Amino acid sequence: MDFLYSYIALAEIYVLLGLSTNLLVGIAGIFTVSQAAVFGVGAYIVAYCLMHDVMGFVPALLVAAAICVVLNVLVTLPSLRVSGDYFVVTSFGIQLLATAVFVNWTAGTGGANGLPGIPSPDVFGYQLESSHQLVLLTTVGSALGCLAFWLIMRAPFGRLLRAIREDELAVAAAGKGVLRAKVSAAALAGAFAGSAGGIYATFLSFVDPSSFDLDASILLLTMVVVGGARTLAGSVIGPFLLLALPQVLSLIDIPTSIAASARQLIYGVLLIAFMLFRPQGLAGEKL
Amino acid sequence: MSAPYLQAAGLEVAFGGLRALRDCSFVVDQGRITCLVGPNGAGKTTIFNAITGFLKPQQGSVSFKGRILDGMKPQAIVHAGIARSFQNLRLFQDLTALDNVLVALPDMAGEEPLGALFRPLHAHRATGRRRVDALEILEHVGLVEKSREFVRNLSYGEQKLLTIARLLATGAELLLLDEPASGLSHGALEALMALLRRLQTEGKTLLVVEHNTRVVQKIADDVLFLHQGHLMARGTPEQIISDPALAEIYFGGAI
Amino acid sequence: MLALQLLVNGLVTGCALGVVAISFGLIYATTKLFHVAHAGVYTLSGYLAWSLVGHGVPAIGAMVVAMAAAALLGGLIQGVLYAELERRRATHLVVLIASLGTLAVMQNIIAAVYTPNILQFPLPWSSRMVSLGAVRLTWTQILTVVLCLSAFAGIMWFSHRTILGKQIRAVASNPFLAEITRLRPQRIYVTVVAIGSAVVALPGILVPLDLGLQPYSGITPLLTATIAMIAGGIGSIGGSFLVAVGIAVLQNMSLLIMPGEWSIGVTFGIFIIFMLFRPTGLFKGR
Repeated sequence: MDFLYSYIALAEIYVLLGLSTNLLVGIAGIFTVSQAAVFGVGAYIVAYCLMHDVMGFVPALLVAAAICVVLNVLVTLPSLRVSGDYFVVTSFGIQLLATAVFVNWTAGTGGANGLPGIPSPDVFGYQLESSHQLVLLTTVGSALGCLAFWLIMRAPFGRLLRAIREDELAVAAAGKGVLRAKVSAAALAGAFAGSAGGIYATFLSFVDPSSFDLDASILLLTMVVVGGARTLAGSVIGPFLLLALPQVLSLIDIPTSIAASARQLIYGVLLIAFMLFRPQGLAGEKL
Repeated sequence: MSAPYLQAAGLEVAFGGLRALRDCSFVVDQGRITCLVGPNGAGKTTIFNAITGFLKPQQGSVSFKGRILDGMKPQAIVHAGIARSFQNLRLFQDLTALDNVLVALPDMAGEEPLGALFRPLHAHRATGRRRVDALEILEHVGLVEKSREFVRNLSYGEQKLLTIARLLATGAELLLLDEPASGLSHGALEALMALLRRLQTEGKTLLVVEHNTRVVQKIADDVLFLHQGHLMARGTPEQIISDPALAEIYFGGAI
Repeated sequence: MLALQLLVNGLVTGCALGVVAISFGLIYATTKLFHVAHAGVYTLSGYLAWSLVGHGVPAIGAMVVAMAAAALLGGLIQGVLYAELERRRATHLVVLIASLGTLAVMQNIIAAVYTPNILQFPLPWSSRMVSLGAVRLTWTQILTVVLCLSAFAGIMWFSHRTILGKQIRAVASNPFLAEITRLRPQRIYVTVVAIGSAVVALPGILVPLDLGLQPYSGITPLLTATIAMIAGGIGSIGGSFLVAVGIAVLQNMSLLIMPGEWSIGVTFGIFIIFMLFRPTGLFKGR
């Protein structure tokens, strides 16, 4: 039972991350492999705040989300001004740089060993300890995320983002600001990823750099690609499906030494196969 | 005397070694339909790009109702009151006809994330009102019954009308149309010309790139003849078409 | 004295990085695709050479075979995957994601076959030292300078003096026009990616001779090389190479004031500065 709970909770956290990645990749059409880094920043901030009793869980989560908004905007802004391909470089660069910080800044992040013993979250005076209380937290978190995504997609802002993905020049000719909308999308994506990070840290009570590396970013991209771009359904299906994959793999007799590579290998194959044969994913729109 | 409505003065645009516009100057008068004609490569689309801020002339200046537009972004120029269409339409294929118009309506509530998230009902109600505006515009160009169709399912003629609907949605008073009549069937052509005339009576000013001399004769009040990036002649359609020297340039002695 | 040694090390690394940069730049300028999987070709060629050397093939032979295999692999990626995606009218973003998928596949096949642990070439001569005045160099470093400078000169000559090189530059500058003149862009693309892959195999083997092989180590040099390509001016072979050397020297000199783990920060700082002040690069490409 606990196993099922933790699968659901983890999948729900990844739904938030899937929404974040979908906002950038699916909707704004920005390629990113650095959302795991932003996720990590959110996680470390909340972990630090709770471990050093700086503030409670809810304010810490808000601070993490706010910092990740600023971070994502700073990261996207210079590249949006120049050209799409430069953002590929920025995105890889941010991810590698973040990993370097997570691994090497031992004083702040615990280095490669990570930070163990993160306290359980408190929400308005209630301490959430048991696994089903934590599932409640992740469910509320992901439900709020889904609601926000839904509201945005049906609002004029969502329409503007779709138009931008198709033809930026035509949007400019219609008198609308392309840069501003893209930066807004990046900011939202930052808020989603940062909150996901904060919830993740308290849920696992342990964070280390391996959860926030390039492979994690590729996993996020795979989730959006498999689930489907630009839809709520796609952002939910992707995480639930791909997080079940390790369990399926454990049923097959694969030596543990290559289990991690086998998993990443499958993500790679999925990326290629979906791009070739089903760019709209299982429940999305064409990328 | 008041400032000219739209004035281009001494525009110079070069792409590498190619001078697309050379000392190009002209005036467009308010409330008239002005046709921009000239052989291929004369720089007609380049003029549009220069006026609407999509490219920066190396020299020269564009002013609109006495206001200098130089260095302004395309988006700001639309707000100043000038909107342009594209030869290759550039419609949003994966959006409906209605959404294509809605994207171009100015001052839309809920068009930034905070409004969309925290005042969803306000945004929803405002969208409802704007939807009525958008449907009116579609009605105006004769596309109202296609409002829910995706652009990719519209005929070419309908797509061309939709580009005009999108221009109208911006609220601009000076519309730059890049070959609105090309590729249209006879019936669609007549409907388009009627629409352009109607827009004129409603107070819009039109600057139209057009190849079809018959269309030019029918709709133009003024004709600007462009050759090798320079304004060669200006006059009524009759004056321009009856000038043998211009016909020689235009048709290259083909007739 | 340490500074001098670091300067020389930087120049050596820079030569290898420069070759990565011009190989990627050749592909990017021609196909306009951000070929992330290039990092996989780079890594795989090193492992291939390692296997061959392990089976008793002489080092030169292993290098030639690995370069040929890399060319074949690169040609396949372009000719099969990218060409098919283009036939399906895939967007730029879709091709980019497929390329990233290809990189993930290659890296993880390597990790599954060779284990993720670091592997060293069983070639004792490669780490033997030579003293040149106050500076000490390994044979690998000397070999790197000689081979990479030759590769640089070779590509310069190829691109400006041979008919194929001129055709490639024609396709790069205007694929549409090239199609009209029957240059067949797709065929040129396959050729270009194959050549670029063969060339990148050179640093792909030489760098691990010094530092050892790791399956996930290709992305950092590729990223650095891409930055050099952008900063040097896309399409400018000389510019990319020079900036790559410059970046490598700066990275090495930065060791005087900060630990090596942060060198990615130096690289990235250089990129941000270029993005802000000179986005078209130092040397304008043609």
